[in-house]
Amino acid sequence: MERLLRFVDDIGGLGSLTYRTFSSMFRQKIDWNQLVQQMDRAGVGSWSIATLAAVFTGAVLALQFATGLQPYGASLYTGKLVALGIVRELGPTLTAVLVGGRVGAGFTAELGSMTVTEQVDAIEALGADPVQKLVVPRMLACLIMLPLLTVLADFVGCLGGMLATVAEVGVTPRFYVEQIVDTIFVVDMFHGLFKSVFFGYFIAIIGCYTGLKTTGGTEGVGRATTDSVVAISVAVLVGNFFLTKLFLVVYG
Amino acid sequence: MADSLEPIVSFRGVAKSFGDKSIIDGMDLDVREGETLTIVGGSGTGKSVTLKLLMRLLQMDAGEIHAFGRSITELSTQELLNLRRRIGMLFQGAALFDSLTVKENICYPMVEHNWGTPAEMTDRVSQVLEMVGMPGIEALRPPELSGGMKKRVGLARAIAVEPDIILYDEPTTGLDPINVRRINGLILQLQEQLDVTSIVVTHDMESCFTVTDRIAFLYDRKIAWVGPREEAASSGHPVLERFIQGGRGILEPEEIAVLDEV
Repeated sequence: MERLLRFVDDIGGLGSLTYRTFSSMFRQKIDWNQLVQQMDRAGVGSWSIATLAAVFTGAVLALQFATGLQPYGASLYTGKLVALGIVRELGPTLTAVLVGGRVGAGFTAELGSMTVTEQVDAIEALGADPVQKLVVPRMLACLIMLPLLTVLADFVGCLGGMLATVAEVGVTPRFYVEQIVDTIFVVDMFHGLFKSVFFGYFIAIIGCYTGLKTTGGTEGVGRATTDSVVAISVAVLVGNFFLTKLFLVVYG
Repeated sequence: MADSLEPIVSFRGVAKSFGDKSIIDGMDLDVREGETLTIVGGSGTGKSVTLKLLMRLLQMDAGEIHAFGRSITELSTQELLNLRRRIGMLFQGAALFDSLTVKENICYPMVEHNWGTPAEMTDRVSQVLEMVGMPGIEALRPPELSGGMKKRVGLARAIAVEPDIILYDEPTTGLDPINVRRINGLILQLQEQLDVTSIVVTHDMESCFTVTDRIAFLYDRKIAWVGPREEAASSGHPVLERFIQGGRGILEPEEIAVLDEV
């Protein structure tokens, strides 16, 4: 019961922080220096891990489909399935889980330390708004960088799939690319990017919220960081199902 | 209290609790303009909470706080900003921003309050650093400073925009004896130079007696006694008297038992 209450309390807290973040985004001035710095840390700093994950996921998908489709004589179509799987699902989701772990934990640890050392109080006492100073740049950075990283992951994932397909099935790279071009439409790309924007929101809001409500000194920062990574992963994976359903209902 | 002057800050029936735990309940306190008032009390009795309520960093559950003749709960965003400009606060751990240099830290409130041109700010930074006895350290970063230095930079930041009231949250906690004396000296010196009202929160009785005009004793969730520091030792409040004696000599076991309850 107590856990349920705390959960409801957190949902309320996340909602109120969301409101304050977006109203500050439009009403107050944006700290561009901070935004660029956060985009660099969250986005540019994450491209290597996103790329690595995408290459191997694309490749392993290709291996599985090539083998699985063989009894039906359909291994030629491996490319189509790999591309659909990557662009619609694994590109956005895998990127969000990885970036969420890396960036979300960073947000929580940083804001958590600032909270327990009263630096967040100090921002307010000195006449500034912690939401505007700390949350808005991180939120914007995630909303912008997650879709960009997803595009990168889509591209690299298909490339990884190509290497494996060419090696396993023996098709030419040209044939593989043609298949992808035939299969993937703008709506598929949009499907993935639509979700990645929400994933960016989940990462920033949960990372910042958990950090700002940290209590209990340095030990509390550690606990908050762990909680935050778990909550972000769960939000991405569960949210993915509902966002997918929503998208399919709206766009078929 | 017989003074005819309107108090600069007054607490009336203030209550604050965190979850089920009531920290302050029915607290009344007046702070007179130009004085130094020290709030003493045991750890965790809500001394820092009192200061944060005054800055509106925390919201009180009941009661009223007036500052400069206005109820702080009625202030608009702009007026709240102005209240925060008029009250400077030295946080317990100084709360300097680690990612900024000393100069940027001190400029922070000036930028937020549009205090002046960049050149004026640079002058003001060296001026306040001079005041706290640490000239020329503008380019250093907080991790390079010792605990005592951090507090002094924090104090420089708190006075940068010329506040009327300075709040000190445990200014001497965690410092070595020399730095304790240095900080106490600074509090007295600033009081003289700047003509401000100071509210100090501490459990260090020695520095309390060095810097303060009046003492307010926070006990059992309210102000149990308030009066001039000379009268505190003979206040007639048994726990306060023990508290004052607690700073001197060795305690008898039964005295420790009493203080544990504080």
